[in-house]
Amino acid sequence: MSDDKSSTQKHKVHRRKKAEKKSAFAPRSGRRAERQGRRAAERDQTRLHVPLVDRTPDDIPPPVIVAIVGPPGVGKSTLIKSLVRRYTKQTLNDTRGPVTVVSGKKRRLTFIECNNDLNSMIDIAKVADLVLLMIDGSFGFEMETFEFLNILQVHGFPKVIGILTHLDLIKKSATLRATKKSLKKRFWAEIYQGAKLFYLSGVLNGRYPDSEILNLSRFISVMKFRPLIFRNAHSYLLADRFEDLTPREQIRLSKGKCDRTVTVYGYLRGTNLREGTKVHIPGVGDLGINLITLLGDPCPFPTADSEKRRKLSEKKRLLVHAPMSDVGGVMYDKDAVWVNVPGSFTRGNPDVPQGEGEQMVMDLQGVNETLEHAVTRSQIRLLDSSSKSLSIGPHPSPSRHVLSRARGDGEGQRDNEEDEQEEDPGSASDGDFDDDELSYSEDESAELDITGRSTLRAGHHSADKLTPTREHEGAGIQYAESDSDLGDDGGGGARMHFDSDGGNDIDLQSDTDGRDEEVPKWKSNLLNQASASFKLVRQNKRKDWTTLIYSSSLSPREVVRDEPGTARNEDHKENDQVDDFFTLKATDADADTLDATKEMNPLALHLGKWEGEEALDSIRHLFITGVNDTSVAGSAGEHDGVADDNASDEDEKADSDYDEEFPKGADDSDPRAAILMTKKEALKRKFDEQYDDPESAKQDFYAEAKEAISAQQALNRAEFADVDATTRALVEGYRPGSYVRLELTSVPCEMSEHFDPTRPLVVGGLLPIEEQFGFVQVRIKRHRWHTRTLKTNDPLILSLGWRRFQTVPIYSLDDHSIRMRMLKYTPEHMHCYANFYGPVSAPNTGFCAFNSLEDGAAAFRIAATGVVLDIDRSVNIVKKLKLTGVPYKIFKNTTFVKDMFSSALEVAKFEGANLRTVSGIRGQVKKALPKPDGAFRATFEDKVLMSDLIFLRAWYTIQPRKFYNPVTSLLLSSGSHWTGMRLNGQVRREQGLSAPHQPDSAYKSIERPGRRFNALKVPRKLQAALPYASKPKLMKPQKKATYLQKRAVLLEPEEKKALVVMQQMHALRKDAIMRRREKKQEGAEIRKKRLEKDEHRKSEKKREERKDHMRVAGIKNKRKAEREEGISRKKRKNLHQVIA
Amino acid sequence: MTTTTDDQHSSLQWSPLLSSPFSSLYAKRLLRLVEKVTNGTVIEISLTGTAILVKPGIISGGPVTHDCPLSRSIGYFLEPIIMLAPFSKKPFSLTLRGITTDDKDLSVDLIRTVTLPHLEPFGISDGLELKIKKRGSPPLGGGEVLFLCPIVKKVKTLNFIEPGKIKRIRGIAHAVRVSPQFSNRMIEAARSVLNRYIPDIYLYSDVYKGEEGGKSPGYALSLVAETTTAALHCAEAVSRPGVAPEDISLEATRSLLSEIERGGCVDQKHQTLVLLMMALGSEDVGRCRMAEPTERTVQFLRDVRDTFGTSFKIVPADKLGESPHLLYSCYGTGYINTNRTLA
Repeated sequence: MSDDKSSTQKHKVHRRKKAEKKSAFAPRSGRRAERQGRRAAERDQTRLHVPLVDRTPDDIPPPVIVAIVGPPGVGKSTLIKSLVRRYTKQTLNDTRGPVTVVSGKKRRLTFIECNNDLNSMIDIAKVADLVLLMIDGSFGFEMETFEFLNILQVHGFPKVIGILTHLDLIKKSATLRATKKSLKKRFWAEIYQGAKLFYLSGVLNGRYPDSEILNLSRFISVMKFRPLIFRNAHSYLLADRFEDLTPREQIRLSKGKCDRTVTVYGYLRGTNLREGTKVHIPGVGDLGINLITLLGDPCPFPTADSEKRRKLSEKKRLLVHAPMSDVGGVMYDKDAVWVNVPGSFTRGNPDVPQGEGEQMVMDLQGVNETLEHAVTRSQIRLLDSSSKSLSIGPHPSPSRHVLSRARGDGEGQRDNEEDEQEEDPGSASDGDFDDDELSYSEDESAELDITGRSTLRAGHHSADKLTPTREHEGAGIQYAESDSDLGDDGGGGARMHFDSDGGNDIDLQSDTDGRDEEVPKWKSNLLNQASASFKLVRQNKRKDWTTLIYSSSLSPREVVRDEPGTARNEDHKENDQVDDFFTLKATDADADTLDATKEMNPLALHLGKWEGEEALDSIRHLFITGVNDTSVAGSAGEHDGVADDNASDEDEKADSDYDEEFPKGADDSDPRAAILMTKKEALKRKFDEQYDDPESAKQDFYAEAKEAISAQQALNRAEFADVDATTRALVEGYRPGSYVRLELTSVPCEMSEHFDPTRPLVVGGLLPIEEQFGFVQVRIKRHRWHTRTLKTNDPLILSLGWRRFQTVPIYSLDDHSIRMRMLKYTPEHMHCYANFYGPVSAPNTGFCAFNSLEDGAAAFRIAATGVVLDIDRSVNIVKKLKLTGVPYKIFKNTTFVKDMFSSALEVAKFEGANLRTVSGIRGQVKKALPKPDGAFRATFEDKVLMSDLIFLRAWYTIQPRKFYNPVTSLLLSSGSHWTGMRLNGQVRREQGLSAPHQPDSAYKSIERPGRRFNALKVPRKLQAALPYASKPKLMKPQKKATYLQKRAVLLEPEEKKALVVMQQMHALRKDAIMRRREKKQEGAEIRKKRLEKDEHRKSEKKREERKDHMRVAGIKNKRKAEREEGISRKKRKNLHQVIA
Repeated sequence: MTTTTDDQHSSLQWSPLLSSPFSSLYAKRLLRLVEKVTNGTVIEISLTGTAILVKPGIISGGPVTHDCPLSRSIGYFLEPIIMLAPFSKKPFSLTLRGITTDDKDLSVDLIRTVTLPHLEPFGISDGLELKIKKRGSPPLGGGEVLFLCPIVKKVKTLNFIEPGKIKRIRGIAHAVRVSPQFSNRMIEAARSVLNRYIPDIYLYSDVYKGEEGGKSPGYALSLVAETTTAALHCAEAVSRPGVAPEDISLEATRSLLSEIERGGCVDQKHQTLVLLMMALGSEDVGRCRMAEPTERTVQFLRDVRDTFGTSFKIVPADKLGESPHLLYSCYGTGYINTNRTLA
């Protein structure tokens, strides 16, 4: 239509204009378009990052740790409560420790509040995936906030969302806008341009407004996390539960001072946690893991099944897991959930009916000592008249029984009881089994007998009866009798059983199980049994290598040649029992085979068989010139014949032949078809690749790297997918995302005594290298906000890896790539090196340093930041040493020097060393002189003067002090502060000492006596002999007046006139200059006045600012004081209610 | 041998040893060598030679010269060093003097042509070299080799399950202080057996003369078969008094055939090296198809389990059980060369 219209129109111009309509950002020229395209491509490239492997499993990732950080009183607890309410529809009264909630189909969140202690902030920074950084909008940023951001930065910089609160306290909207803007600007400068900053207005019903929280939760739920390198190389967990397992009796006996056995619970993060890994708990120290137990997920993801069963009732909508916060009185234990119903039999609860029974139960809770103890102390007299009270002698048996039980395996009483329970049914079932098995077979029952017992008893079975199951036991690995037991075991997790490649063993087990249950059926079904036993024989022949190697006590020779050695081993053991003092541990032949790479005896290789042509032909298919894969069967046929001919050894071959025969009848055609299909597919793919553009198949480096990573991860998943959980744990460790219980032994008692759930408890796995100590070289830079320089040999607290520790660094700089030269102080605005002794960390690990971790320090506490460069067992830092001496006899180029050394031996050490005089003449130490001790002969490039000083510049190696002091903040009670080694200056200040003063080092005004040079005297005789040009031309000053001096000069009239004119001109000029100067001075005066005025104004402003600052500080203090009294919250609440 | 690989992680306590290998001179010399190439290592052997105290240091590398005793060949010393060298602070440049070929350990020829290529799939290849400067036969030796090894940050994960087919055979027949004709005789004898399989066979005759030939007469043939997937199989035979060179050659050839028949992706003598590198790989699943483990390998796997806490999954390579091969898979420990200096 419109086209028609336009065609009728005459104004073509209009149409053309329409066609030329420009879009706003379209390029107008080819060159510009090209430039824009290039720019876009470059920008795309900057968006790319090096592809990193994410070790977090996709299917069940661990909860994301959301740390809520901010100064006290900013609203952290309120935010947690609001968020938890948003996700679970439950209100927590007090949140202590981590709170885990399910936030979506594939995401869980662990909220943790960080208190204002620097130690907690450091620990939180190392584990948090997302930080909600809370800022008081009405107050602005505080020093702790910046400190925390800097700590984050060196430990990997997780994601940060800023949250401004208390904005309702700003009344004027203009001020509010300005505040928001300025705070945002500052925040962006600190994180990155465009970092997310949330605004939370006031508090409603003790929570933030639901709509704002909903908004925030949406942001949290879509957040993506890039793996951080340190966390991707370490396994760690944030403990959400902590239990002391030490037997009460032991604690009582040691008056609470014994080392404890504790358990911590939490979700594993980072990489897989392997058995035998050591862990570091920041604030406590290095600990060994006694036991890792995989527990059921306390906060599982919703599945289709669970969704079906979900009730509409809102309370049960979603789970919250916060064992430290005591949510609704639910406590999770190893394999039980404890519901604490307050109000029934709790002490100090007035609501309970105080009947006799109730009273007794409550009284029992208050008893602190055992009955026996009470009885020993009591003084009962049988009769009124008896003089001596009844006494109780030492009653060893029951108490010892208690003790032994308690100490039994280092676990708590509860565990002991469990053990007993486990044992009891075991022994009972033993009997049962015996009955059942009687009809089955003699040895089988005996074997089962063994199974029932603990690991300590070594299996004593003979070699010819070896079946895979029995080998398991021989290794001292427990097997449960039935499947149900196995299940229990998995829960308990104390025992690992290794069962290699699933197929074989599972078959076997099901086999025996079947027999256990239905003996008559087995008897009737003989044919099946026969075939099964045939299979069994086959499987027997194929060795179960994993079991043989890892869980049997056979020697390598016996493992490889699975025959005679076993019997010998048996004898051995018996010998051991009889006389275990002198035993021959192994034969030398054994050690020799292990020591040599090549087979020692060529005859053992059975080389004789290669003499026959048939044998030689039998391996033709292994060469490229041999027959193809498809006809392998044919060649195998030949193979068959060969094996028959020289049936000397090859059991395996016979096996493989069996294998081939077995499936042949059933599916002969299928594999062929499958092979054909695969071949066809491969050909098709090849054709496609060649036919299509070969360039298109190529990918860029980034895509290739990503593809390789994902392929490897798919392989990782597939390889151990069909292996059962415990075996898997043994091979690859416990995977991140699983909820585990770690039992830690010999933990300092202070940890459990002063345990405070508000302080984060991080359990960080250590790499083997990190358990070692050595010298670490780091690149360090003093923080530009830290007010003091750092001094060599002053203690410094580092947060490096998981650890926080104090050490004594030596600062140094690279001196022309020749030597590392010690620095007394850190340079300004520049990196330098530091060497210290301590636990080593992998190079490229970031750290931050502090002078003190105490609260209330006025200045910025982060002293320095840096990165680890190198680890070593020795350091080579030097400082300059200048030795001086004086010449006491000078020849032409040779000089005798004294006062540099004190003995000839010292001189000998320095022979050949370079010397230099103050005037710059270079020389060398030659040899010691016999006479004054330490004097030596030296040669110089020129004659030195007696007045010259002679230097020897040497380098003296210094070693850092071996001082390492871990910051054990978790071993202290909540209020107290950790104190480490103090700085030199601090010690002096506290002891009222002044810095040591060496009079030699003091600066004095230098007194240099003026040097007197004697006049050059040329002897008269010599003077006379000199040619005239070289003669010194000495003339006396003229004494008589000269001719001109004697005569007066008169001017001619013209001359006079000219002189007058000249004088006048000079006078005029002088005057002009004078006036100009005056004027300039006036101007200067005015300027000076103006400057003074400015200065005055500035100082006024400064005073105002200071006043403001003090006022704000006053408000803060006041608020703090109010909070402590608990007034402020109520007041604010009231205020909001009024507003609402 | 195993203690040296444990070196990085062993703890500070006297650990008793099964037999007393440290009463022999060569074992002590090996420990001295380990001390030389590391910094801060303390190794003390008890008077009886039955207990050893190891305080591990860090592997420092750099230029080192070491004289090997005449009781064992250079291979005995080089083998553990090859395992340590990629993880040192500075690239290795190790000169070893002694016997280059004997009947117990890998000869320097095999180390050069087989052992070092085994490190390539792990990302250790640039600058990896073994130079045979002089040959030395037992009993007097007099050989000298220079081993150069680059350093790596971490080793790549191995995934080697396709053994492939033999595509070429190479060999070195060397003779020192005997008639150069000996090596030609060995080559002829080997060809008489091997020619039937593939045409791509090159057997080099390597005759060292004068000073370079060492102090004692001797000759040997080492053979390498390479498959289409770059798997290597090797065999070797060393001169014995009273045995004709043809017989030595046939012995080497036949043991090569045995090795080929055993198959797999890794030669039996190099199982330990490959398994160690797999265990040290990044935290991913590495797989390798090999023949059955040797006694050394079994002991080695146990040692790896004790030191690194990693065990291998060893299953038949195919489900039907047709091939005698085993599939070794493990989850790497994610070992990173922390000795390396940054910048």
